[in-house]
Amino acid sequence: MDRIARAEVADMEGVGALPRRSGELIFHDQWECRAFALGVALHEQGEFIWDDFRQHLIASISADDKTSEILDPSGPGYYEHWLAALEKMLIEKGLITSSKDLVL
Amino acid sequence: MAEKHQHDAPPSPYLEKRRTAAETEALEERVRRLENLLTEKGIVSKKTLDRVVSIYENDLGPLNGAKVVARAWVDEAYRQRLLADATKAIKELGFGGLQGEHMVVVENTATVHNIVACTLCSCYPWPVLGLPPTWYKNPPYRSRIAIDPRGVLVEFGLELDDSIEVRVWDSSAEIRYLVLPERPQGTEGFSEEELTALVTRDSMIGVARINSPS
Repeated sequence: MDRIARAEVADMEGVGALPRRSGELIFHDQWECRAFALGVALHEQGEFIWDDFRQHLIASISADDKTSEILDPSGPGYYEHWLAALEKMLIEKGLITSSKDLVL
Repeated sequence: MAEKHQHDAPPSPYLEKRRTAAETEALEERVRRLENLLTEKGIVSKKTLDRVVSIYENDLGPLNGAKVVARAWVDEAYRQRLLADATKAIKELGFGGLQGEHMVVVENTATVHNIVACTLCSCYPWPVLGLPPTWYKNPPYRSRIAIDPRGVLVEFGLELDDSIEVRVWDSSAEIRYLVLPERPQGTEGFSEEELTALVTRDSMIGVARINSPS
């Protein structure tokens, strides 16, 4: 009964829940998958607390007027918010600098 | 059969909402830049990133289902409720997350063995079983389980006596099945927690039995 995936990541519910279809994670494009891996790997390495990241993610989704409710899991959109939340998190932790490291 | 069986076909808005090529390219560039920056600084390695993706794509989290099964074994009233209305009984334990799909629990007995499949795609009771194993999604299992369930079970290492009736349940977008396996012998004095630890994912899909603890 091995479970290597972390429950706080895999089992998020509500606004921040990972897009899934029939239980499987949905990635529309390769970059979504890479962005997902970056966020999870940095968290697993202890760079930040998952809940802090999750709050950024929820804030980003909620601030988007097109997606004030839970995102449609079958459409793109979620990982734009994921990426924004990740950049914010990394800036907060001083791992990157907003002015010079990001393409905005 | 003209029966409606739409499973998890993506809804049509999906295509309309696709990003443009330019948007995708910009996002790709943003991620690549971030990834390069962090790998060059030695904060994270490409290998770790690949490992993370493979773990989460193949995540096995059947613990919720195991708790449901163990509760049914120790609490006869719960077992009755589970078999009568699984969606409700599973919710009692705090597990949900399905969007309108009904859960149905089918019970294995000395004379009946149940197996869950999804012959058309890969519908799966993920709030209780986590992510589906790869073989569940592959055509060989999906096509052969309905035609030759006993043969497939043998490949999983489970040989059933001819006297046991085999029932295959085809999951859909509307109904997700979970097998309630037989409680193994020799577990009479076990606590609910100890029983939970015995329940395997495969036993709740119906391709395995739970062995008696040695």
